[in-house]
Amino acid sequence: MKATIERATLLKSLSHVQSVVERRNTIPILSNVLIEAAADGTLKLMATDLDLQIVETVEAQVETAGATTVSAHTLFDIARKLPEGSQVSLSAAEGKMQVIAGRARFNLQTLPRDDFPVIAEGELPTKFELSAAILRQIIDKTRFAISTEETRYYLNGIFLHVSDEAQPVLKAAATDGHRLARVTVPRPDGAAGMPDVIVPRKCVGELRKLLDEVDGSVEVSLSATKVRFGLGSAILTSKLIDGTFPDYSRVIPIANDKLLKIDPKSFMEGVDRVATIASEKTRAVKMALERDKITLSVTSPENGTAAEEVPGDYDSDGFEIGFNARYLLDILGQIEGDTVEVHLADAAAPTLIRENDTAPALYVLMPMRV
Amino acid sequence: MPEEPAPPLRKIIHIDMDAFYASVEQRDDPALRGRPLAVGYGQARGVVAAASYEARAFGVRSAMPSTTALRRCPDLVFVPPRFDVYRAVSGEIHRIFADYTPLIEPLSLDEAYLDVTEDVRGLGSARAIAVEIRARIRADTGLTASAGVSYNKFIAKLASDQNKPDGLCVIPPSRGPDFVAALPVRRFHGVGPVTAARMEKLGIVTGADLRDRSLAFLQEHFGSHAAYLHGAARGEDDRPVRPDRPLKSVGAERTFDTDLIEPEALFAALDRVAEAAWTRIQRYDARGRTATLKVRFSDFRTITRARSTAGGYADYAAFLGAGRDLLKALFPLTHGIRLLGLTLSGIADEREADMLQPTLPL
Repeated sequence: MKATIERATLLKSLSHVQSVVERRNTIPILSNVLIEAAADGTLKLMATDLDLQIVETVEAQVETAGATTVSAHTLFDIARKLPEGSQVSLSAAEGKMQVIAGRARFNLQTLPRDDFPVIAEGELPTKFELSAAILRQIIDKTRFAISTEETRYYLNGIFLHVSDEAQPVLKAAATDGHRLARVTVPRPDGAAGMPDVIVPRKCVGELRKLLDEVDGSVEVSLSATKVRFGLGSAILTSKLIDGTFPDYSRVIPIANDKLLKIDPKSFMEGVDRVATIASEKTRAVKMALERDKITLSVTSPENGTAAEEVPGDYDSDGFEIGFNARYLLDILGQIEGDTVEVHLADAAAPTLIRENDTAPALYVLMPMRV
Repeated sequence: MPEEPAPPLRKIIHIDMDAFYASVEQRDDPALRGRPLAVGYGQARGVVAAASYEARAFGVRSAMPSTTALRRCPDLVFVPPRFDVYRAVSGEIHRIFADYTPLIEPLSLDEAYLDVTEDVRGLGSARAIAVEIRARIRADTGLTASAGVSYNKFIAKLASDQNKPDGLCVIPPSRGPDFVAALPVRRFHGVGPVTAARMEKLGIVTGADLRDRSLAFLQEHFGSHAAYLHGAARGEDDRPVRPDRPLKSVGAERTFDTDLIEPEALFAALDRVAEAAWTRIQRYDARGRTATLKVRFSDFRTITRARSTAGGYADYAAFLGAGRDLLKALFPLTHGIRLLGLTLSGIADEREADMLQPTLPL
């Protein structure tokens, strides 16, 4: 294999590809990136961690087609330090790959391309397109709620499913058992009848990074076990989480009868301020609701107390409720408008938070004991 | 040619208080003794933090929803937790431990590893030390503890479970491998219901089955967990008892040969620091609640930025992700960076936090 590629192009695609590679691999070839030069003037770079695979296809001058694999992180580090604007020559033969750019030359160990594990996609019968903007919205509004607890592996991703309601819709949900986030968007053509799937957290992360550089639409193909995203010059393929996402719609309250309408920005700033004194053991922010007035307070045996009044619209019976400050801030940080609705029932009941009843996103938060 | 000496055999004790929170409550209120008791909140969305042995006889377990517990045991009494009391008792038992060794690694309020390889009080054997510690705990606190004595942490912890409650189990090096071979795979760390089911499909049900598989086979099916499983199946565990663990923090930092300012270079460097930190964190089975990024600029000004997550960072990707987000928030930079550090802290008893934050009724 022999090809020449612009340093900037190589660096960009390597930076996409190398973040999929796990840091510690017991199987050496998993630390490598597969580089395949094709006669049609393209270079394909592939990396995998066995659950997630990325393929980047870029333009290059290909002198001799062929393929090999070489350490992803080493090649990335080299590419970073090569002179800007240089042309990088990659040539592989007899178990080594030469990297030459300007006056620098590197000789790297390689492993044979035939040993490189490729995720077998199988049939992906469901195919549809989503705009990059909508996919960004879906991810941004839900990913903070994804569970990081490995034991509840079926919560370690975003749940995607379609539903026929007033309109056909696609819903994305994530929860860690304490808070839930759900986004609803119009169902794209081709998504009807798709299986319910859970997209793993790492795939979500890598997809989100790629989406930063892409506009236009993303091709989504999936089966019950795999998903593939095609965007820009990259194709991201991931195994789906083999598990059953809980029936989360049951925990979305529909009859909470106490409504607080409040400016999300001042609410958020107030919570953030009083939570300054919260410690490891006291992350709870108490909200005392009275007519048109909310008093936020935090008590920390180590650090002291904090209190702040925030104005809001509240007409129901007064009562007190507590929330984890971080969870509350995570949700409020998602609200873009001037008002946020907080639907409450009692101090032990799941609370619904949303901008209004037509907003695509809604959030459910379990209160804390105060 | 002199032979390399084998590493000295260690003596590790795992002390585990029996039904800790429940036993404290029964100690302090005689009316609760002999009765099925759950520490926790009994109402609709409550959960059992700890169950007395009488309650366990009915199938009541920690983390069980209160409604389920009441169904299994209609006479179950609920008592709210008193964490300040539990913390005080934990302090008392640690003072006892300190008389026997400075190498104490608490796992939670009611569990700790002690490295007693060096017999500072000259009692003659690790068994004798464990016997004395249990007796003193009983005399000083009125509570019972079980102990496992062996040559590494893994077996010591399994051993303390063997003769619970109020029991002692010693597994010497000669019996270690057989003891582990007979265990069901569920008893191995990191093997929960999901992994156990996968192992069962592969015909792996006991430690012996695990021992009979090659490292390559384990790597293929269990990835990075393979090295641990391979050693554990042979009764091997070289993790030291770390006295400076959980109540503080663990991480890594690196000073660079040249100051870095480009995001790409910084993220790549952070990846390496996170990896070094996680290698150390993994050895503690730690789940810390806070990830802290430390940044030293070229002018030597040093800042830290932290982020916490309720469930704790038990997962490398989440830990690294937190570090990356914290670093990203600092851009654009006005100065180069000469040092990056990433640390996990808040590694303390999780149960108190879990009690106060109930879960959604999923």
